[in-house]
Amino acid sequence: MASEVEETLKRIEGQRGVVGTVVCNADGIPIRSSLDGVATAQYARLLRKLTVMAKSAVRDIDPQNDLTFLRLRSQKCEIMVGLENEFLVIVIQNLHQ
Amino acid sequence: VSQLLHSGQLSMGPLVFQRGCQTRALHSTDAEVQTVSTAVSSTQTEPQDHVTEQLLQHEEPEPPGLRDFLRQVEDRVIKELVKNARSHAFDGYQVNWEDQSQLVSCRHRLQHPSAQERSLHVTSVSWSCTGSVIACAYGRIDEGDWGTEKSHVCTWNLDRRGLNPKQPDLVIDVPTTVTALSFHPNQPSLIAGGLYTGEVVVWDTSHTQDPVMAQTGMSADSHREPVYQVDWVPLQKRGEFGVLSASSGGRVLLWTLDPDQGGFVLSAGYALVRQQVPHSSRSNYKARGSSHVGVTALALSPWDSDIFLVGSEGGLLLKCSFSSQTLAAAPSEGQSVTLRAPAVFSFRPRNSPIHSIHCSPFHRNLFLSVGTDGLAHLHSLLQTNPLLSVRVSDSYVFDVRWSPTRPLVFAAATGQGVVQIFDLGRRSLRPAATIDQGGANQAATCLAFNSQNPHLLAVGKTDGTVNIWHLSADLTEQSPRETVQLELMAREVAE
Repeated sequence: MASEVEETLKRIEGQRGVVGTVVCNADGIPIRSSLDGVATAQYARLLRKLTVMAKSAVRDIDPQNDLTFLRLRSQKCEIMVGLENEFLVIVIQNLHQ
Repeated sequence: VSQLLHSGQLSMGPLVFQRGCQTRALHSTDAEVQTVSTAVSSTQTEPQDHVTEQLLQHEEPEPPGLRDFLRQVEDRVIKELVKNARSHAFDGYQVNWEDQSQLVSCRHRLQHPSAQERSLHVTSVSWSCTGSVIACAYGRIDEGDWGTEKSHVCTWNLDRRGLNPKQPDLVIDVPTTVTALSFHPNQPSLIAGGLYTGEVVVWDTSHTQDPVMAQTGMSADSHREPVYQVDWVPLQKRGEFGVLSASSGGRVLLWTLDPDQGGFVLSAGYALVRQQVPHSSRSNYKARGSSHVGVTALALSPWDSDIFLVGSEGGLLLKCSFSSQTLAAAPSEGQSVTLRAPAVFSFRPRNSPIHSIHCSPFHRNLFLSVGTDGLAHLHSLLQTNPLLSVRVSDSYVFDVRWSPTRPLVFAAATGQGVVQIFDLGRRSLRPAATIDQGGANQAATCLAFNSQNPHLLAVGKTDGTVNIWHLSADLTEQSPRETVQLELMAREVAE
């Protein structure tokens, strides 16, 4: 049963350039991660804050609408956050060789 | 019945009263307790295996909804990842949010009036590890008997309010010319210096009364010739540093500080002798002159703690190893350690003295060397011939440093007083920026980038001034492809 979760995460991590993945629950607590403890806690805390703000921005503009995906592009990598049912999956992708 | 009244004496004593009191009854009870059963237990942590530690064990129950969530979100995430990998939307997109300053401007002109009166040159500059203090050494090493002149080491704290450029915060008087200076990489108050007499000194700037913390003195162990370079070297024990000094007598010595005696202890010594210099097959360097190799430039590699590079008065450029076990062919002069020959590889020699070598902080194999021939050579540690030669100036070049923030940028101080900054990423080999303070015939003898505040560059000149320049943003902001370009450059094979 747990293997389906692991397999899905492995498929995501196997994509080109993916550096790490973090899955958080509704309270912002990381429940699965491929990074070390410190980095995981950091990503979970910071991106959860950002996601909550982004979500409320989308819903303030149109209450019928909802945030589905968030992408942050920085000089060194791209951080993607997928949301659904209060869970979050954070994927970090680095395409520079 | 007759009652006889007994008429006796009726004695009346002192009046005596008697009272008594008593508390109410106290209730007291006795009871006994005894343990029927005992249990003992203890806890202890186990050493954790950090390297491969998954955040949470898989045996933990899966939170409800996790599986469904991942099932729903997986497609979307993978689609975005693939799209991003294929996208060209951001190719060549560079944005910089910081304030761009386009100019190179002179922030401070620092002078020490007493040194100026005596026309002393600035021989060396060094920034402290915190980046706020600049120290400079005065002296003269040109013709004549200047070596015995008294000189100074001055420091200025640039972050202090009320900075007076004409008055250093601290002036240390030194009995002879100081030829090399280096701040300790971790402790902001220690400065190591090399003197014209061959001594190596460490000053502690927090002791204003007697700043000399340790000095080698004139012992059998110390150098006999001017020390042209001192550097702090990390020792085996983490956090401890030793001082490496190189002199034109051909010796490179590693000193450790002895806290008990307050002096230096020679921990390792290397002697460079002409006969022991490895000859690469393509060099046709002819040995001439004395047999020792006068060291005028020294560089440590930040990537490999065993390697150091040495440049000589005769133009030799050598890669040396701290762990070399070959004994030196130099005559022993009663040193406390046996001298070893450190040279393991010889790069293509030049015809003139090499004044400065610096290893790239961004690539493990690259380093720059400059000398009297006015060229800056970019070498790879793996090849004899330089990868690239850049014409810096028509006259001597005294110092070269890589930029601490831009992998492709370096600055060189020339004998004409001009500092040329080159950007190897540009097509043309003309300098990206030229810093000219004016005052011809005043050579720029040394320069140092401030690693904490990479916009600042300190330049010392023969007119006794230290100028602090603020560099423009394009010289200090790294662009995304630079490390890649540097790597490509390093991989080229010199013809």
